[in-house]
Amino acid sequence: MLLSAEKVTKRFAGFTAVAEADLMVEEGEIVGLIGPNGAGKSTFFNCVAGDLTPTSGRIRFAGVDVTHAPAEAHARLGIGRTFQVPATFEEMTILDNVMVGAYLRHHGWRAARAKALQVLEMTGLKDQAELRAKSLGTPGRKRLEIARVLASEPRLMLLDEALAGLTPSEIQRAIALVRDIHKLGITIVIVEHIMEVILTLAQRVLVFNQGRVIASGKPQEVIDDPAVIEAYLGRGHGRAARQP
Amino acid sequence: MRWAWIALALALLAYPLVFTSPFYQDAGALVLLAAISASAWNVVGGYAGQISVGHAMFYGAGAYLPLLLHQHWHLPPILGVPLAIAVSLALALVVGFPTFRLQGHYFSMATLAVAELIRIVVSNWELLGAAIGLQGPAVSKNWWDLTFRSAVPYYYIFLAVLALLLYVTWHMQESRLGYYLRAIRSGERAARSLGVPVRRYKLFALMLSATFTSLAGSLYAFKTGFVDPESGLGILVSVQMIIIAALGGTGTLLGPLLGAVILVPLQTTTNTLFGGGGAGLTFIVYGGIIVLIARFEPGGLLELWHRLTAPRTRRAPAPRHAA
Repeated sequence: MLLSAEKVTKRFAGFTAVAEADLMVEEGEIVGLIGPNGAGKSTFFNCVAGDLTPTSGRIRFAGVDVTHAPAEAHARLGIGRTFQVPATFEEMTILDNVMVGAYLRHHGWRAARAKALQVLEMTGLKDQAELRAKSLGTPGRKRLEIARVLASEPRLMLLDEALAGLTPSEIQRAIALVRDIHKLGITIVIVEHIMEVILTLAQRVLVFNQGRVIASGKPQEVIDDPAVIEAYLGRGHGRAARQP
Repeated sequence: MRWAWIALALALLAYPLVFTSPFYQDAGALVLLAAISASAWNVVGGYAGQISVGHAMFYGAGAYLPLLLHQHWHLPPILGVPLAIAVSLALALVVGFPTFRLQGHYFSMATLAVAELIRIVVSNWELLGAAIGLQGPAVSKNWWDLTFRSAVPYYYIFLAVLALLLYVTWHMQESRLGYYLRAIRSGERAARSLGVPVRRYKLFALMLSATFTSLAGSLYAFKTGFVDPESGLGILVSVQMIIIAALGGTGTLLGPLLGAVILVPLQTTTNTLFGGGGAGLTFIVYGGIIVLIARFEPGGLLELWHRLTAPRTRRAPAPRHAA
């Protein structure tokens, strides 16, 4: 088991955003987290990434307890993440952005640069290497975030709506990139709104609603689950689905 | 690029030999001193983006301790230099350790508060000369008193320290430390997600910055042979570093030097033209510069220069395959 999150709960001043959520991820899997807005996916995701500390529960990564570890320790252990709203280093060049990631495992300038260039080649950003990150549009920034994480050589990559806001053709290219990353042997957990993406990419899906995991399994099984339909479309439709 | 560096070095080396009038030599030394303290501020304020408004505390420690050793115990002032650096490092830890856990303006407010507190305490402390201040050796007994009649020896000492500081900064800029500091400046959360130990790096930048700021304060004390709470610890000391760095370009290697070359002669001119009444004018000039930089080019003059000389890189061409 690469990642195991058990009974993870996160409360904010009395409001329970995530309640006893479990997530087990094997090495080499692609797991999708879906659910309606405000279902707690992002909060759970941020607990796993180390940005938030769970109120209770336990998170282990590669045998190490990371429940209370800071975000930078997660990165060092091999958990990389992207942000829902891209957080690229705007004033730095695209190459320098990726070098920040590369410096995690390569201490010398030469080695870090070589790693960064290799990643830029793979992600198709090489032509823009010397431009500042702020010159990129949203699709470019999302791609740059992925490149930055890749350069840090993670074992697990957490993608937070990495494909939201892209046009259909951009989505196809992004899906291809995620597949390429998976081929490198990197395990992927992806939070996504777009069903199409989850259905094509994920081998396993967890559905969140009101802070709880209400279903999990193969994508096709999950979207036929009445509880899931109800969560997305409301009670009436759930009943309709159960009594066809 | 290499030739530009050699030309700059030669120009700085030749300056006191070309301008032989004591007025210009003195002005040159003052420009270099301002460039040192602004470049030192730039390490933490520019590269790491942690705006200190209280660097006067380090500058003041650098200025006071050598003169204190001389005036009270008749020791060579130069012994106060490492002592002042040690005190500055301790101050950096005291201010940085609690505030660097937080993002945003807490650090700026803490530096401002601590610096003002120190100024007020020193203004009332008899040992440190209270409101009157401390004096250095009137005449030089040994060379290590670093007391010279002419400004030229100071000019070259300042130039050597500036060269060392710029070399350290350049080295930092090209190493992991520099990349990490710029990442922290751009976004702490993202930097942390890539494994940057944000707090430790911010502290390190502050300590490096404090060391050289303290050294600048000591050099000031050697040159003027005198320090009082206003000239060593006043808010204007801190603000001047910020303005000079911001004018030239924060987070750039040569921005603070450029800012000093422009601002210090401007100050000297207003002071000569308006005499004592010019003191208030300094604030007005500073305020005006802040407004202009903030409104038109937050990156400073070097950024403006890059923008004007390389308009191609302003916007990326639309990627051929967007995604």
